Amino acid sequence: MTSESSEGKKVTLKSCDDVEFKVEIPVASRSILLKNMIEDVGETDQSIPLPNVNEKVLKKVLEWCQHHVNDPQPTNDDDDSRRRNTEIDDWDQRFLNVEQDMLFEIILAANYLDIKPLLDIGCKTVANMIKGKSPEEIRNTFNIVNDFTPEEEEQIRKENEWAEDR
Amino acid sequence: MASEKLLSEQVTKQTLPSQASQNSLAKASTIPSELILQIFKYVTSTADLKSCILVCKSWCRCGVELLWHKPVFTGYGSLIKLLVTLSRSTQTFPYALLIRRLNFSFLGEHVSDEILKRLSSCERLERLTLGGCRRLTDNGLLKLLDKADGLVALDVSDIENLTDAVVELVGERCRRLQGLNVSLCKKVSDKGILAVASKCRSLRRIKLSSCDIITDESVVILAKNCPHLLELDLTNCNQITNDAIQPVFENCTQLRELRLACCTKLTDESFTETMPALYEQLRILDLTSCALITDQTLLKIAHSAPKLRNLVLAKCGNITDEGVYHITRLGKHLHYLHLGHCSRITDHSITHLARHCTRLRYLDLACCTQLTDASVFELSHLPKLRRIGLVKCALITDQAIYALIENRVVQHTLERVHLSYCVNLTVPAVLELVNSCFRLTHLSLTGVPAFLRPEVQQFCRQAPKEFTPHQRQVFCVFSGKGVKDLKQYLNSTVIAQQRNNRIANGVGNINDQVVGPVAAVSADIEESVVSEAEGVGGDISEGGEGENENRHSQNDNRNRNRVSDRNPEGEDGDVGNALLDF
Repeated sequence: MTSESSEGKKVTLKSCDDVEFKVEIPVASRSILLKNMIEDVGETDQSIPLPNVNEKVLKKVLEWCQHHVNDPQPTNDDDDSRRRNTEIDDWDQRFLNVEQDMLFEIILAANYLDIKPLLDIGCKTVANMIKGKSPEEIRNTFNIVNDFTPEEEEQIRKENEWAEDR
Repeated sequence: MASEKLLSEQVTKQTLPSQASQNSLAKASTIPSELILQIFKYVTSTADLKSCILVCKSWCRCGVELLWHKPVFTGYGSLIKLLVTLSRSTQTFPYALLIRRLNFSFLGEHVSDEILKRLSSCERLERLTLGGCRRLTDNGLLKLLDKADGLVALDVSDIENLTDAVVELVGERCRRLQGLNVSLCKKVSDKGILAVASKCRSLRRIKLSSCDIITDESVVILAKNCPHLLELDLTNCNQITNDAIQPVFENCTQLRELRLACCTKLTDESFTETMPALYEQLRILDLTSCALITDQTLLKIAHSAPKLRNLVLAKCGNITDEGVYHITRLGKHLHYLHLGHCSRITDHSITHLARHCTRLRYLDLACCTQLTDASVFELSHLPKLRRIGLVKCALITDQAIYALIENRVVQHTLERVHLSYCVNLTVPAVLELVNSCFRLTHLSLTGVPAFLRPEVQQFCRQAPKEFTPHQRQVFCVFSGKGVKDLKQYLNSTVIAQQRNNRIANGVGNINDQVVGPVAAVSADIEESVVSEAEGVGGDISEGGEGENENRHSQNDNRNRNRVSDRNPEGEDGDVGNALLDF
């Protein structure tokens, strides 16, 4: 009630399962896709359909955008520094403490909506799950089927034997 | 055969995931490869990445390129294993073509021509770092570089056998070259440099340090043909004259870093006559031992390059207070200043400097023998000071040390303090310094009589091998753990002393000076990670007089990103001074 008038303009987003979210423009603009759309379209009462994101995931993503609404926009040239830093701040860590399927849904949505920082922490989270595991342990963690023939697997293992633990 | 099977499936596989993810919840196996790749970019360990490529075919295709892009070797053994893979007749992937960057610096003399020859199938190399692989000759290098059309950066520094033939081939083949480091390749002459300069027009960085047979001709052609130059290192190219500098200033308007150390023929004319009124991009200028230059050069520089960040004027003996006054014009832009051996400088100009260049992080005043405590009083206000060099400022007393701490400014920032041959210093003052500066990781006290005792020197690092017995005797440099051990030891002996005093003098009659430091112990030792090479300037070899200066600055370049606790011996000013002295 209080926020309607004082917090500025809003935009309506519609998930693929037809649920509408009214979101403040700065929050929606964490998504570069939405930011560009809003800038192109200008003020509109029509909702923006998001055919690749369902309600559950969209709600989660918007929660992130809300929390990070005041973060500086990422620039292109700090790609390397982001990569070097595999740490994730506490809030984000709790935020991504979800079922694995949901984690991948968030990554897909962040990619589709072009929210780089969210995509980064999602990918970092998965990368952290890989750390220190054997191929078989990784397969079990992510439920991946080994589609190599034993011969193929053995050859690749041999070819990459040089890549050892430090 | 295997390779075809794996690669052919790529197309069909890739279309699957996006469709699958539409309805059901996502699974790892449905993630499109572009996102798998994103994830793998955060898998930083080579071993983890290897595990990833063995998970399944699609992960394999994503990971293998990353793994081979810049192979990270644990040692010679793993390099050999990689060579074995490259020589296999059937390979799952065209591995050699996946290699874009190779760095063999850390393998040094293990790297032979034979190894390079076996890598000659790496036709897509972009960055090749062979600095310090001293066993290499033209033989191996010519073979490896013959097809390296896409090479962007080449470091062959300190390969003494290398000749113009290699440099000429680079000019012929590597038209996209942007960075070349042939430092310490003493056989490289104008002939080689001319070939590179006339063909590699997009050259941005070139290091010719200690290529001492090159002449003005090389520099002139470089300047005229390579207008994009950002970095030019002519350290120890002592044939260079003023004539070479003019075209540099004229053509290379983007130059950020210019190193002219030991180009002893240069005079004021190089700057006063030819430097443009505004040469705005310049950030780093090294004029070590350009002993002919005077305050006039500094006047010009301070006007033309107002954003200069690092300025090295060590052993520019003509510089006086007036020159330092000119420098203060740079104000907060100046972060790094070396005035070692500029012995005409007095407290007047240093006071002025401290008040105007308030962002100084690194200041070396070694052998500025006229300086007194008054200078240090002023410097103790610098809020970002990390490193201060006062070697052989023999007039300095304990009062200066107490002043440094008293302001509670530099104690938060100081990491390296050089006090060798400040002969008046005593244990209580230095202990207080060590107790309050919790980031301190380097402290040199060579030749300070109060510290030349075996029980103190046991914590100091080893004297360089080339030192004479006498030099060893006075050597007293603490770094890393040594600083902590020294601190602990001094504190415990002071406490013991205090107890003795108590017994001797009766309780309640404790010497104040002794109590002070003990009270200050409370600030616990903090694990401080020092990145000495802050900014680009960190690699200027301190002190500047060590015989091995060049080799060390090479090392520094290579190790720039490593923790610098284990500095190569002889790198710091004290060692150099000691060498000069005995």
